[in-house]
Amino acid sequence: MRPPASPAPTAPLPAVSPMLRRLAEERATGALMRESGTLYLADGQVVHAESPATPGIDVLLTAGGTLARAGWWEAVAAAGARQRVAAYLVDSGRVPGGALELCHLGALYDAAFFALAPTSTPARFRYGVSHWIGPVHPVAAGSVERETLRRRALLDRIWPDATVDTAPLVRLPDAAAPPLTPRRRAVLAAVDGSRSAAEIARGLGRSAFHTLVDVRRLAAAGALDAVRSCGRPDDGSSGPRAGAPVLPEVTPDPDIALLRRLRDALEVL
Amino acid sequence: MPGIDECLLDIMKLPGARGAAVVDWTSGLALGTIGESPHDDHEATAAETAEVARMAAEQPAFAQESARSGTPDEDPPASGVEDVIVTSPAGYHILRFVETDFDSSVFVHLWLHRSEGNLALARIRLGELARRLVLA
Repeated sequence: MRPPASPAPTAPLPAVSPMLRRLAEERATGALMRESGTLYLADGQVVHAESPATPGIDVLLTAGGTLARAGWWEAVAAAGARQRVAAYLVDSGRVPGGALELCHLGALYDAAFFALAPTSTPARFRYGVSHWIGPVHPVAAGSVERETLRRRALLDRIWPDATVDTAPLVRLPDAAAPPLTPRRRAVLAAVDGSRSAAEIARGLGRSAFHTLVDVRRLAAAGALDAVRSCGRPDDGSSGPRAGAPVLPEVTPDPDIALLRRLRDALEVL
Repeated sequence: MPGIDECLLDIMKLPGARGAAVVDWTSGLALGTIGESPHDDHEATAAETAEVARMAAEQPAFAQESARSGTPDEDPPASGVEDVIVTSPAGYHILRFVETDFDSSVFVHLWLHRSEGNLALARIRLGELARRLVLA
């Protein structure tokens, strides 16, 4: 049995970015700059990605203690100009090769997911540009596109309300909440009524998409919700729910909390 | 530099190895694949095995067991589960969790022929190769 999310092999996938597809076909090298992030291509393959929504590989490596902050900056100083920082980290024994590949690929797909988010701003491509991190493990543009679509479907299967992805988050008092995994407990502990999922990810040194998965699971379990602004002017968090009715942020009655979550879920269907 | 591809090549040297993949269990993404996959689609297989790995990694029963057996002055590993083994009349599947210093949710999936593979040997070797992937 196949999961329903995997499309039939014959069905053409919707293009996440027609420009990315074209650049991959012409084996272009350069930087594809979109509103929410940048993809670096070499010979049409994706070699690096960055997004303001995701922690960079430096944050991921230093947060877990794989690499000291000073070690990162030494590598940038020593090998940044010749665009070989990744190779320098491995060759100088600072980071094992396999660990660097896993971490870099994780950061690449993480940033690509946000960089390829739907946008109304046209993308730009600068030919010939390459990133100073240097070669690590190139991936096919088609693989990045497919993974981005799969990740969108995965998030919506867990909990269909995308408001929690970008808004400040608040904990909901819910005695009936199921026991949490240690990973989700750490995410929930960082929820303070003002931080968004991206800020929590950065603070924990975790992939932003992985944090979104935990945030949506916590929302589905009734443990957290987005802070819904009460008629405040749009503060840039661009929620798609401008016309939604406003309820108190925290409801002490668990039945009301449950009904409210059901209503939210039905609304976004 | 030794990395994912070299690790997968070494895994395929195990007797009876049919295919292998390095997979992220939070997203279901295949970070690297080699050889065959059960339905000729490594990406679909990765999404399925990731769900099994996640279910095992997140069950409190397994996490509690590892917390008890761990040394008290040492943080228990993130998942607490070392590997998941699934057997079928035709083959063995071993999912081996990879522990990294940085935050991750990675495992290695090895698919073995039932008749040619040696489950005990493959489990030990897969554990060594998964450790070497991030320590070498």
